[in-house]
Amino acid sequence: MKKRIVVAVLTGAMAMSSMTAFASEDPIRFVNTKIEIDAQLKAFAEKYEAETGQAVKIESFGGGVDVNGELKKYYAAGNMPDIFAFANDSYVSFKDWLEDLSDEEWIEDTDYEFYGDDGCVYGMPFALEGIGLAYNKDILDKAGIDPSTLTNINAYREAFEKIDSMKDELGITAVCSVAAESGQMYWSTGNHMMAVYISQGLDRSDKSIIEMEKAGQIDEARMGQFADWVKLLFDYADPNVLISGTYDDQLALWATGKAAFITQGNWIDPSLPAYNATFDCGLAPAAFSEEDTNGILVDAPSYWGIYNESDKIDEAKEFLNALISSEEGQEILVKEAGMVSPYLSCELEPETPLAKSMIPYIKEGRTYAWDWLNQKEGIAQNATGAIFELYAKGQIDKDGFVSMMADEIANY
Amino acid sequence: MKNNGGKKLFSTVALIVGIAVMIFSLIFDVISLKDANKKGIPGFILKEVQEQVKNAEGSDNYEAIIKALGVKADKIDDIENFKNVTTEKIQATLKELGSGNTALKAQLKIYDYRGWMLIAGVILVILGLYFMPTKKHRKIINILFLFPLIFAFAVTVLIPFACGIFYSLTDWDGVKFTEFVGLGNYITMFKSQDYVYSFVVTFIYTVINMIAVNVVAFALALLCTSKVKGRNFYRAAFFIPNLIGGIVLGYVWQFIFNKVFTTIIPGSMSMLTDPNLALAAILIVSTWQYAGYIMMIYVTGLQGVPKDILEASSVDGANSFVTLTKIKMPMIANTFTVCIFLTLVNSFKQFDLNLAITNGAPSRILNGKAVQSTEFLALNIYNTAIGRNQYALGQTKAVVFFIILAIVSLTQVTISKKKEVEM
Repeated sequence: MKKRIVVAVLTGAMAMSSMTAFASEDPIRFVNTKIEIDAQLKAFAEKYEAETGQAVKIESFGGGVDVNGELKKYYAAGNMPDIFAFANDSYVSFKDWLEDLSDEEWIEDTDYEFYGDDGCVYGMPFALEGIGLAYNKDILDKAGIDPSTLTNINAYREAFEKIDSMKDELGITAVCSVAAESGQMYWSTGNHMMAVYISQGLDRSDKSIIEMEKAGQIDEARMGQFADWVKLLFDYADPNVLISGTYDDQLALWATGKAAFITQGNWIDPSLPAYNATFDCGLAPAAFSEEDTNGILVDAPSYWGIYNESDKIDEAKEFLNALISSEEGQEILVKEAGMVSPYLSCELEPETPLAKSMIPYIKEGRTYAWDWLNQKEGIAQNATGAIFELYAKGQIDKDGFVSMMADEIANY
Repeated sequence: MKNNGGKKLFSTVALIVGIAVMIFSLIFDVISLKDANKKGIPGFILKEVQEQVKNAEGSDNYEAIIKALGVKADKIDDIENFKNVTTEKIQATLKELGSGNTALKAQLKIYDYRGWMLIAGVILVILGLYFMPTKKHRKIINILFLFPLIFAFAVTVLIPFACGIFYSLTDWDGVKFTEFVGLGNYITMFKSQDYVYSFVVTFIYTVINMIAVNVVAFALALLCTSKVKGRNFYRAAFFIPNLIGGIVLGYVWQFIFNKVFTTIIPGSMSMLTDPNLALAAILIVSTWQYAGYIMMIYVTGLQGVPKDILEASSVDGANSFVTLTKIKMPMIANTFTVCIFLTLVNSFKQFDLNLAITNGAPSRILNGKAVQSTEFLALNIYNTAIGRNQYALGQTKAVVFFIILAIVSLTQVTISKKKEVEM
C-alpha cells in the first residue's frame, strides 16, 4: 500500500511538472556576458513581458568564464540562445551563426555597429568604453595641473615630476598605479596599454598599425615612442603593485587616493563606491608621443548578435530594439547600469564620473578606435604580456622591448 | 545438432555485422566533420549535391531545384554558400532532380541514421554473443552484465580518446576540420619553445613535488602514529587543507605571498616575481595542500604493520630507527607505491594551483625570448586550446601529455611493485 502511494505521488508530481513546462510560454533566451548588468537586464525583461507578453530569459555568465568556449558548447549541444554577446575576437568563431541585421533602423542612430567580413551588420552595440589614463582630479588640482594640457609625453613627464616632488604634501605613495604582472594582468598591459600603440592619434578608419601587427610587423619608430611612454609610467608607478599587484591592488591604490593616475578605463566606475572614493576624476588621453594627441580610445567592446537559426529572430530583434530605444531601456542601461550609450538619440548621460568624462570626447569626435580587439587571439596572454613584465622589472631596456615585441609579433 | 549450426551461423553473422556497423558508423561520424557546413552536413555530400545540381543546369525544372536547395543560382559555384543547406533541403533537391542518385541518397541516410547504426551495431553484437553456441555461455552472460559499465566507459572515455587522437592529426577548430595535416601539429608542438619549456618546468616540478610531498607526509604520518599527545587533532588539522578547493587556496596563498610575506620582511619583493622563487611558491602550497592527504594513506599503512613483528624486533633490541627502516618501511612498501603514484600523477597534472597562484607568471628571458616561467603542461594545453583558439594543437599536446603520463606511471608502478613484501 505504501508503495502505491509513493508511486501515485511521484506520477502526480511528474505530470504536474510536465504540465507546467508546457504551460509556460516559450521565452527568448538572452545570454548576457556582463554579469554586472544582470539585475538591470532582468528588471527590463520583466517590464517587457508585462507590456508585450513576450517572455525573455536572461542567462548571465560571470566574469572569468570563457564565454567563447561556453557558447561553443551550447552550440554543440543544440542549445544556442536566441541572443548572445560576442566581440571582435570571437567573431571568427561565431560568424556562421549570426543573423544579418543590416536592415535594422538603429544602424542610422549609431557609429559603432559591427560589420562582418561581407560588409553586413551583425552586431548591435550596447555600451561604449573608453581607454585612457584615468586621473584623480582632486590631486591634480592640488598640484596645480590642468588635465586638459596633458596631450603629449613631455607634458606628462613634467606633470609626473611635479607630482612626484609633492608626494608627501598630496598624501600619495606613487604617481601612477600600474600593474604589469603577466599572469593576471596581461590583459591590462598586452591589450589596453598596447591599444595606445595601435590606435592613439590615428583616424578611426586608419588601420595601418593593426594590419601591420597582424602581418607580423611593427612600426619601430612608433614602438620606440611607445616604449618611452611605458617606461615613464613604470618609473613613476608603485613598484610592488607594478610587478606583483593584482587588479584589486591596482584599483585600491588609486581609489583610496594613494596615486594620481591609473592605467584603466571607465569600467572601474562601478568598483569605486566600494572604496568610498569620493574624489572627482576623469579620463585623460594616453598621449604617448611627442606630437599632441587629445583624444581617448572609445569603442563598443562587445555586441549583441542574434542566432540565425533561432525560431524567434523577429521577436529577438524587437526586444533588442526596445531595449536600446525605449526610455525605460535607456534608463536602465545608462542610469542604472552606468554605461555610455552608443546611440545618438539617447539624451541620457551616465552619472558615474569616468563614463561622464567620456561624453565630451565622444561629442567632439576626439576618439580613436579599439583596434586592439583585432589582435591575434591570445597574443596578450601568451606573448606580449610577458614582455611588459620583463620591462617593468627592468630586465630589458627600451631596445630590448622593441626588438622583443618585433620578434614575438613576427612569430606569433 | 542442426539447430546448433543455425545458432552458430546467426551469432557469427550478427557479431561480424555488428562490429562492422559499429566501426563504420563511428568512422563515418568523424569523417563527416570534414569540411562540414554549419549544419553538420559533411563536405563530400555537399560537393556531390553541388555537382549534381550543376549538371542539371539547363533542364526544365532547374529553377525548382535551385529553390529546393536554397542556394542562389549565381552562388552555386562556391561551396562556401552551402552553409545553410540541411538534410531536408537536400532531400527536396533530390526529389526535384529525379532518379539516378541513389548513392547520394544512401549517403544522406547513413549520415542521418549514424547514431541509430551505432546502437544497432551494439545490439547485434550483444545478440551474437548471447546466442553463441559455446560452453563458455555462462561466462559470456557474466560479461554481458558488465555491458552498461563498458558502454559508459566507451562513450565517455574510449571513443573521445580515439577521436582526440584523430583530431590531433587535423586542423580541427572545435567545430569542424578542413584538412588532414598528418604529424604537422606534433612537429609544430615540439618546435615551439614555450611547450618545450613547459615540459621541462613541469618535469622539475613533478620530481621535487613528489619527493617533498612524500617526505613531509611520511614524517607527519610517523608523528600521528606515535604516542604524542593530541595526535588525532593533528591528523585532522593536517588533512583539512586538502578539503579546500585548489583555486581558493591558490588565491589565498597568492595574497600571502604578495602581501603578508612582503609586510613581515619589509622591503622584500614578492616571491611570485622571481621565476625560481615562484616555482618554489607553488611547491610550498601544493605540499601544504597535498601532504595531509598522503599522510592519511601512510597512517593507514603504518597502523597495519602487525604488532607481533614490532614486539619481536624490540625484544631483539632494535632501536626505533632500525625498526623504521628495517620493519615498518618494507612492510608498507605497497603504501609507498600508491602514494608515489598518486603524487606523481597529480603533480604532473597540476592545474588549479598553477592557474590561481601564478597563471604562468613571472616571465623570464630564454634565448632572447620572453617565456612564461611557471606555465606547466596542463596550463599550456589550456592556453593553447582556449586562449589561442588552436584546438587541434591543444589536442595534440593533450595526447602527448597522456602518453607521457601513462608511460611514467606504469614504469613507476612496475618498479615499486617489485619491492613490495608479500604478506
